Amino acid sequence: MGPVHHDLAGGPAFEPMIQIDMEIKAFVSAWRHCDYVSTYMARMISQNRSDSVRHSSLFSSAFNELLEVAFRTRHADGELACRVSRHGATDRIELIFPCVPEERRFYEEAVSQVAGIEARERYLNSVSGDLAPSREIVLLELAVDYNATLRVEDADGDAIKLVVDLPLEGLRN
Amino acid sequence: MSPYDLLPRFKAQYDANNQEFSISGVVRPQAIDELGPSIALLRDAIGRVRGVLYVNVRRLTQMNNAAFHAFSRIIIDACRARPDLKFVVITSSVVGWTSRKFGRLSGIEPNITVEEYDSEFYPGQGFLEEGGFVPILRTQTKMTWRHERAILPRHGMRPGIVMADICCGIGDFAVLVQKEFQPSRIVALDHSISSLDYARRVMREFDIRGIEYTYGDASEMLLDEAQFDLVTCRHSLQIFNRPELILKELYRICKPGGRVYITNEKNSHCLGEPRAESIRWTYNEVAKLFGHFEMDVELGPKSRRYLIEAGFEDIRVETFMVTNLDGDSQDFADVIAAWADVYAGEMASKRGDCPEFVARFRQGFQDHIFAALHPKGYAGWPIWVASGRRPQ
Repeated sequence: MGPVHHDLAGGPAFEPMIQIDMEIKAFVSAWRHCDYVSTYMARMISQNRSDSVRHSSLFSSAFNELLEVAFRTRHADGELACRVSRHGATDRIELIFPCVPEERRFYEEAVSQVAGIEARERYLNSVSGDLAPSREIVLLELAVDYNATLRVEDADGDAIKLVVDLPLEGLRN
Repeated sequence: MSPYDLLPRFKAQYDANNQEFSISGVVRPQAIDELGPSIALLRDAIGRVRGVLYVNVRRLTQMNNAAFHAFSRIIIDACRARPDLKFVVITSSVVGWTSRKFGRLSGIEPNITVEEYDSEFYPGQGFLEEGGFVPILRTQTKMTWRHERAILPRHGMRPGIVMADICCGIGDFAVLVQKEFQPSRIVALDHSISSLDYARRVMREFDIRGIEYTYGDASEMLLDEAQFDLVTCRHSLQIFNRPELILKELYRICKPGGRVYITNEKNSHCLGEPRAESIRWTYNEVAKLFGHFEMDVELGPKSRRYLIEAGFEDIRVETFMVTNLDGDSQDFADVIAAWADVYAGEMASKRGDCPEFVARFRQGFQDHIFAALHPKGYAGWPIWVASGRRPQ
């Protein structure tokens, strides 16, 4: 086994794999962009996974939800950056997109609740009770169904950075 | 609008005979209104059925949360309004996310159960795909490869192509192809987790690159259409009860102008001298035994018809005979001994064969081994190779 590199925060170093940048105006001009980007990036990064087709399907499914969240941003200017990096069995998605301050607070609150022990129960309540999933429930679902861990990090300007770690390689049906 | 936007992305249908609502494809709507007709169809199906409604999502490759919520709500509401009604959601182990996601529904409503569709499509394959058959499969491939390495270029194999090996088993054929012909990419798919684990271990140990082993159902693959120059499927159509469904999928993933290459046996034509009569009797019985389990090990000469009926053109068919003279005759004998263990063992037992039959059945294999190892003997195992081109 080779040496494990660590980033400045002391966590394991993730190797960059692929990045797509778009003007947010261009991105939100068509809903299909979520599908295009998630499908394309999933295929690109899954080639060397042990089961590339299954990994691509899982990754696309999770990533598309994040892109659909970003699509609903209320901030009209700025850039969307999607970055995927890898450490062992875990793929990290970093999604940077413009957002207004109240949205930022919303995401911070939503992500903090994802880690709660009753996450699964809240998710099931939403499926059985809500007409449509809220953005909070979409993030919750990533944790419940994909064992994802999520956090919000600082980004430049009026932007937010969602960091989502997906351990899909070891995920069983 | 791009041509991509014009493609139908998903399909919903209701089969009244089976009380089955199925939805397939990519379902990622921006708004629930886009699902209007499909949701109406599901509501209508719920209104018509009694007892159980099957919800088939086996070929549902993607569904966003918005759509999942919409369909789930209808099913959950129906459970609450009609406690007499049960829902069985049929997922595929291949898709990955569906079993987990739809599995949550049974935690909400006990009348919803989720079943992972698996091997019922392959009634007899379990005899062959799990367990200690690996060394024999390797020997078989070694024996057939001596012939196929010369045959393959006549059926579209060449360096640099993109190819798929469907029903790849333990992956040894893909490895041999990679070494001999250097295709640019090989996707190798199988439905046996233990075989794929073995294949991946071999790939790691021998530092082999360029092969992607993937878990999948050959009759309903998640692979995109029209992406391979050559699709191989060896010794497999004969062990599926509906080979035409597999061929339809092989056709779908093959590029127009590309070729699909299949190999199959005609077991009753296995032969040997001396003791030809006993050998012939046993292999005729092998064909009947497989037939009992809905497998057609006589398929070889039918390959041409299957390919024509699947829509292929420029059909090429040839045969070769693996014999005890090809290499080490002990290899040939070992393969026959392994066949005897499975066919006259587990399979005959499962069919309920009497001891007298099993003894005579087993004797034919022993005579085949005798012929293979006899200093003046000859033993053969014939294989039919066929390929067809997908029209441009």
